[in-house]
Amino acid sequence: MIAEVGLFALVLALFVALAQATIPLVGAARGDVVWMNVDRPAAFMQFCLVTLSFGCLIWLHVTSDFSVLNVVENSHTDKPLLYKITGVWGNHEGSMMLWTFILVLYGLAVSIFGRDLPPGLRSRALAVQGLIGFAFILFILFTSNPFTRVDPAPPNGQGLNPLLQDPGLAFHPPFLYLGYVGFSMAFSFAIAALIEGRIDAAWARWVRPWTLVAWCALTLGVAMGSWWSYYTLGWGGYWAWDPVENASLMPWLAGTALLHSCIVAEKRDTMKSWTIFLAIITFSLSLLGTFLVRSGVLTSVHSFASDPTRGIFILVLLAVFTGASLALYAWRAPALKPGGLFAPVSREGGLLFNNVILSTAAGTVLIGTLYPLFVDALKLGKISVGPPYFNTVMVPLMAPLLVLMAVGPLLSWKRGDLPAALSRLKFALGATVMTVVATLAVAGLGSRNVWAAVGLGLAAWLLVGSLTEWAGRVRLFRDSLAGSFHRAVHLPRSAWGMTISHAGLALVLIGVTGSLAWRTEYLKVMHPGETASIAGYDVRFLGVEDNVQGPNFTAVRARFIVTKDGRYIQELNPERRMYANPQQPLSTVAIHTTFVNDLYVVLGDPDASGGFVVHIFHNPLIPLLFFGAVVMVLGGIVSLTDRHHRVGAPLSKLARVPRPAFALSAAVPIAAAAPAQGRRRTGWKHVVPLAGFVVLVGFLLARLYLVEEGFAPNFIPSVMIDRAAPSFDLEPLVAGQPGLSSASLKGHLTLVNFFASWCGPCREEHPVLSQLPKSVDLVGISYKDRPEDARAWLSELGNPYKTIGIDLHGQTGLNFGVYGVPETYLIDKNGVIRFKQTGPLTPAVIKRELLPVIAGLK
Amino acid sequence: MKLRLAVSALLLLLAASPAAFAIQPGEMLSDPTLEARARTIDKELRCLVCQNQNIDESDADLAHDLRLLVRKRILAGDTNDQAKQFIVARYGNYVLLKPPFDAETYLLWFAPVLLLLGGAGIAFVFYRGAARAQPEPLSPEDKARIATLMGEEKGA
Repeated sequence: MIAEVGLFALVLALFVALAQATIPLVGAARGDVVWMNVDRPAAFMQFCLVTLSFGCLIWLHVTSDFSVLNVVENSHTDKPLLYKITGVWGNHEGSMMLWTFILVLYGLAVSIFGRDLPPGLRSRALAVQGLIGFAFILFILFTSNPFTRVDPAPPNGQGLNPLLQDPGLAFHPPFLYLGYVGFSMAFSFAIAALIEGRIDAAWARWVRPWTLVAWCALTLGVAMGSWWSYYTLGWGGYWAWDPVENASLMPWLAGTALLHSCIVAEKRDTMKSWTIFLAIITFSLSLLGTFLVRSGVLTSVHSFASDPTRGIFILVLLAVFTGASLALYAWRAPALKPGGLFAPVSREGGLLFNNVILSTAAGTVLIGTLYPLFVDALKLGKISVGPPYFNTVMVPLMAPLLVLMAVGPLLSWKRGDLPAALSRLKFALGATVMTVVATLAVAGLGSRNVWAAVGLGLAAWLLVGSLTEWAGRVRLFRDSLAGSFHRAVHLPRSAWGMTISHAGLALVLIGVTGSLAWRTEYLKVMHPGETASIAGYDVRFLGVEDNVQGPNFTAVRARFIVTKDGRYIQELNPERRMYANPQQPLSTVAIHTTFVNDLYVVLGDPDASGGFVVHIFHNPLIPLLFFGAVVMVLGGIVSLTDRHHRVGAPLSKLARVPRPAFALSAAVPIAAAAPAQGRRRTGWKHVVPLAGFVVLVGFLLARLYLVEEGFAPNFIPSVMIDRAAPSFDLEPLVAGQPGLSSASLKGHLTLVNFFASWCGPCREEHPVLSQLPKSVDLVGISYKDRPEDARAWLSELGNPYKTIGIDLHGQTGLNFGVYGVPETYLIDKNGVIRFKQTGPLTPAVIKRELLPVIAGLK
Repeated sequence: MKLRLAVSALLLLLAASPAAFAIQPGEMLSDPTLEARARTIDKELRCLVCQNQNIDESDADLAHDLRLLVRKRILAGDTNDQAKQFIVARYGNYVLLKPPFDAETYLLWFAPVLLLLGGAGIAFVFYRGAARAQPEPLSPEDKARIATLMGEEKGA
């Protein structure tokens, strides 16, 4: 009953969304106020219906209603209540419900706070929001219905992956989606402005706080995910440039650029067309991330249950929304009036520089993430683009931005005085030099330390530079303390927010530098009573306690005593847990933190001698990274409380105050230049993004088609084709037969088949091996298998091989480039590899691929 | 073993057991300098059977074999590059997490520079456009005329 109510509410929400998407839009086009005013009630209705539906889903999970498939697949009665709730979005269907819920939440916010918006703008923006809601509800109903029933209902569910049963990950998705979906606000307003063909300071003023909300949430969401990965996964790191991680970084970079360009658009009524463009791109990157994560077109460690059908749907959504908005942009943006002039050295100039670098960074991450797919599609082979690439290109790209971040805020609008700004940065320069010298003096002159000194120096520059700007504003030490205090209290909150956020970034930079340069680790088998020494700490292993009972797991808990110079610091208890439902192991990390450095202990596998593998990391400065991210978010929140950003700022005030800037620039100087200007600006350049996007979608579609056709993205073609087979000389598996060596293959056309008794697909392949053409010799290599197991396997299934060699440790396999048995190589009479089959040979493969190669060799 | 930031948060259905760590003490070389080199190489090689991990962090059997192979090559006197090339010769460029600089990857490596130039180009066009849109500064004659007109207005 509850499930049906949820589904029914969702279907109703679909129709309301359709009404919200169309009626106000038509009304705005016709100037019909009654039709336009449908927007707010529709948004409210949609919110109520989606909330009801989402609430039903949560209720089903909380009450463990196992007649619903989604609950069966993701929940279990033993699960703590918190994870029954957060498990709702721990799966594809539920996470899309959360996505939609957050979308309608934003829609509700517009309808509440947007009462005083210009009605045309509000109706159109809400209509676009309605359209996005319509598309996503349709997506849920057609491909990802969370309310599907199962009959008969199983007695209990399959439970939730224990990795997800963690507070860090429980709240990571909601914040991430608040960020992704929050950028839909800027998007909707951008589309509304393009339809209206008008964008002014009031528009930017409206978009800014929403962008800021989304940015704060996304920053927090990404930081939370990173932190979770750090403290639960036991690898001591926090970011790995995985495609799915990149999918969240791209909208963050673009969103950060948008945040800054909004400031220019609002204060100086310029860079408007660019701001619109960024708003479109930021939300599109959010959608692209959703697509990449769920479609299975690329390989990632964070595999969502990927499904090409869903992939098609999301790709169509992406194509429609981004394609249509870029087309609208190409059509309308040239008509937007250009804004005020500014010198390259000015506040605007600094923010423009920020935008150029951040957009380049977002573009670089996009290209790096998709490049392997392009290379593959063009049949140029398989390549990987991993952390070393991103570190190499991103560091030099971001460094200039960090340098200028301290300078930009000191420049005045329109025309800045660079020498004056630089002279104000003398303290920052002093701090930088001192930091570099001190770092090198303390740490020594290794190449790592030099890099670390540069990183820390940059952080000092940014930190002190940001504080200098703040100090200048409150006239610190140039006025009485009371006077400075008074100024500080009355300093706009947005100015506070900027200082805090920039300082937070400096802290993040310190953390990144420390973790890259100075992380040390200890990895050994420890027996009870032994002590590990790392970074000045002594970590004594006392032993383990078995059978520690948790709510839904049993654990082996280790006891480590941490001392420093003989002084007791803390006891650490990393665990190896075995969860009951589902049966999954999980190791927990134990961390001793000084809030500057972390000592990070992971308990590994037991060994035969009664010891345990113990991995200890000393992670200097890492806590500052997470703390810095929180400080950045805090800065954003402080900025949000600025009166100026209050989203409900009444229209009357807006109409009175900011218009002059717009009116002046529009009416006075441009009036004369505009006609000619307008014609010249309707050139090709606004069409470029659309063209690029069409190519991208076409490409992704082709890729998706291949995935659906059964093409495996992780198939790696062999580089050994047409090269001499490696030399080997293996012992025979079957007593009495000769061994197998590369020399013995000369003069015959031979198929070398790597197999193992432990390999499932080998069993499946086995009958096919006896159907091979007689003109080819078939020999086997028993790969990483115990000879007696291999012999038993062959006596059970029959022995189709002429001879079999034993590759006990897989050395020969490595030389052949074997990465997963069964694999089969065709070697010609001269000992050259001519063909390779990865995975089982099938009659189809033999007929279509192998036989033509053999025929060609004859 | 690593998965780290789950953007989507969910579902990290991993082949490997969570929070184990791949490299094992038994695999390590006794010489810490050589072992440090081996670890550096491990982190630059991609595990072929995993979703997206380097061999240092992977629990896969193949990753274990490759780690041993790296150490064998180092003991045989290979430089880091030679050891990596040894594996590339068998498995192809796919194993390199930092792709080589060649015809296939020019676009990848030049991408940041091209994007930066593109961004700079947009900024330049923007400045030029904005500068054209601005009126000429007032000539002394214009200023004089304004003064006259203003005076007239005041007078009127």
